[in-house]
Amino acid sequence: MATFHPRESRYARREFLQRGAAGAFALSSMGTLLAACGGGNEGSFTPPELNIARPDNPVTHPLFDDNPMIASGLEPESGTLRIYNWNGYLWPRIKKDFAKEYGVKVEETFFETMDEAITKISSGAIDYDVFFPTTDRMSRLVIGKALQPLNHAYLPNLSKTVWPALQDPWYDKGSQYTVPYVTWTTGIGYRKDKTDSRPENYSNPYEIYWDEANKGKVYVLEDSRDAFGHMLLKNGITKVNTEDPDEIELARNDLMSLIDAVNVKYSTNDYTNLPGGLAWVHQMWSGSAVSAQYSLEEGVGPEALGYWFPEDGRGTIGSDMIAIPESAKHPVLAHHFLNYLLDEKHGYDNSVNYVGYQPPFVTLDPDRLVADGVVPPNLKTAIVRESDFDRGYEQTELTPTGQTLWQNAWAEFIAGAR
Amino acid sequence: MRGNPKGTDAFWAGLALPGIVWLCLFFLLPFYVILCVALGTVDPIFQTPQPEWNPLAWNTRAFEFVFEGLFTSGAAFQTVFVRTFFYVLIATALSLLIAYPVAYFVARYGGRWKGLLLAGLIAPFFISYLMRMLAWINLLQDDGWVNDILVWIGILDAPRNWLDGRASSVILGLVYGYVPFMILPLYAFLDRIDRSLLEAARDLGASPFQAFRLVTLPLSIPAILAGIVIIALPMFGDYYTPNLLSGSPQTSMLGNEIYLYIKGGQQIPVGAALVVVLMLFLMVLMGYYVVSTARAQRRLGR
Repeated sequence: MATFHPRESRYARREFLQRGAAGAFALSSMGTLLAACGGGNEGSFTPPELNIARPDNPVTHPLFDDNPMIASGLEPESGTLRIYNWNGYLWPRIKKDFAKEYGVKVEETFFETMDEAITKISSGAIDYDVFFPTTDRMSRLVIGKALQPLNHAYLPNLSKTVWPALQDPWYDKGSQYTVPYVTWTTGIGYRKDKTDSRPENYSNPYEIYWDEANKGKVYVLEDSRDAFGHMLLKNGITKVNTEDPDEIELARNDLMSLIDAVNVKYSTNDYTNLPGGLAWVHQMWSGSAVSAQYSLEEGVGPEALGYWFPEDGRGTIGSDMIAIPESAKHPVLAHHFLNYLLDEKHGYDNSVNYVGYQPPFVTLDPDRLVADGVVPPNLKTAIVRESDFDRGYEQTELTPTGQTLWQNAWAEFIAGAR
Repeated sequence: MRGNPKGTDAFWAGLALPGIVWLCLFFLLPFYVILCVALGTVDPIFQTPQPEWNPLAWNTRAFEFVFEGLFTSGAAFQTVFVRTFFYVLIATALSLLIAYPVAYFVARYGGRWKGLLLAGLIAPFFISYLMRMLAWINLLQDDGWVNDILVWIGILDAPRNWLDGRASSVILGLVYGYVPFMILPLYAFLDRIDRSLLEAARDLGASPFQAFRLVTLPLSIPAILAGIVIIALPMFGDYYTPNLLSGSPQTSMLGNEIYLYIKGGQQIPVGAALVVVLMLFLMVLMGYYVVSTARAQRRLGR
């Protein structure tokens, strides 16, 4: 999928977000790692000791002597700041303003999938200064020494603007390698003018997917973690990172039962399928719900859109991050850029003018975004709240075994094999 | 040259060099890389594919997985493979039914408009495939023109949801997307058929239809086969047509499964193995094409 409205293209990346997810592992010794690397073929490959970061199992990533952080008090470099990002994930104005303020040039290169990005970053072929990785690759990036530790002396805004919980996130305790960028939830979008189905009318809101009144108009996200995630939650299983084959099979069977019930479809174009009328009920990311108002059919107002996310916050949520590659040629300037994005005003402008997803800032509450006219009142549910992170279920890395289970189950769903 | 038979042989053999280099660079080498990815592993840290170049260390697990899926009744790979085969079969047949009369008309009756007609046939190429498919999404919408017209004519009582994940929409997309590739080889061939052969047939008492059936059609068999090969091969790997015009698991094709596995994660070799298996299958079809064109030409006494 390559064509998107410039405002929207970033959402396509979620398709790739968790699919390639894999175990975060902290190695007990470098020796194991070297043996693993040298082994090469799977027969002799002994999996290193896994230590997967989970909200209830936060991970402090190791620091390496040969990958030090930059010293404090350095002057930012001159030249060109090179950003490596998802397409459409940064307001161009931010780059322009930063370039002007620091008297440098800012250049942004785009990637389509996290796998593509990691391949290029790890090959060291190109030296980027700022990179936007996902939490599900954290440990791999750290152990592979693809990221450099951050010097917080350059990042005063981190403690000033960011929610306390995300200043010290479970996937990177102490924000040693990353700072947070934006947050999201996975809920259910629906068309109030087309269907009478409402998630909140069901004692089990996820059952809305099975409402035969919407046959041919029901979509799940083309993302195994999100699609199976809602099936797990429907069954009361809150372990959205489960590696239990029975639970994964249960989720797969439930999802496949939707083929007969409503001829369910899969897509990542939630931000156009729902407002364009292709879908009446669509599993949806919160940022897509906010952006959907710009792609509505003629004569339909934003009040026709609905977005459901559990009122009590017990749904699927997540956050994205910014980091500096180890090979950065302008690390000081990059630190300044991170701090620039964490500035209250810059982060707000970037979100409301372009990105749609909200940064985890203490000053950004739902009421303010509605009052500012950024989000229609009926889509207030699409705004991520700080409290969601206390109760929500975050998708994390899976072990290679778990990853294989999820991928094969998803392949069976995609095949429509019954 | 210089009258030396041996030197002459080398000279003529040398003319094949560009073709051989082409084959090595653009077929054998990529094929070997894909094969080595399928028989290799992924990097334990970054999960990038680690092709295994040494045939002695090849790991056949991905192929075992793929073959198990292909030969287990009701399994994902088999379901998708069979479905893909039938979609391509139907779409190719429909393309031929559309392309042959069009090419025949242009070649026989185009006259001085031939150039313009041909340009018109190539025009769809000027727009990217993706854009044309996106246009179809609009046309096939509930309130799109297709429904408007069908309801207006009276074929349908009410608008139909063509995009609710039905095979017919996917096959329509395939036919529309690939039919120009079928028209061009057919046109090129039909245009070259010697008119005097047809005149001779008529002189000898054949009706126009008999002349077509006994002269034109047999002569165009190699072109028909070429057209089939040209459109069927890319159709087998298509994944965006079903994605855009349906998105239903009931219409996904082999390309969707390949894409799913190959774009990242622990099982990239499985995706690569699917590619290799598909390529081998297509090579069998290609082999049949080569044999039957040779046979057709022999029959025509060339």
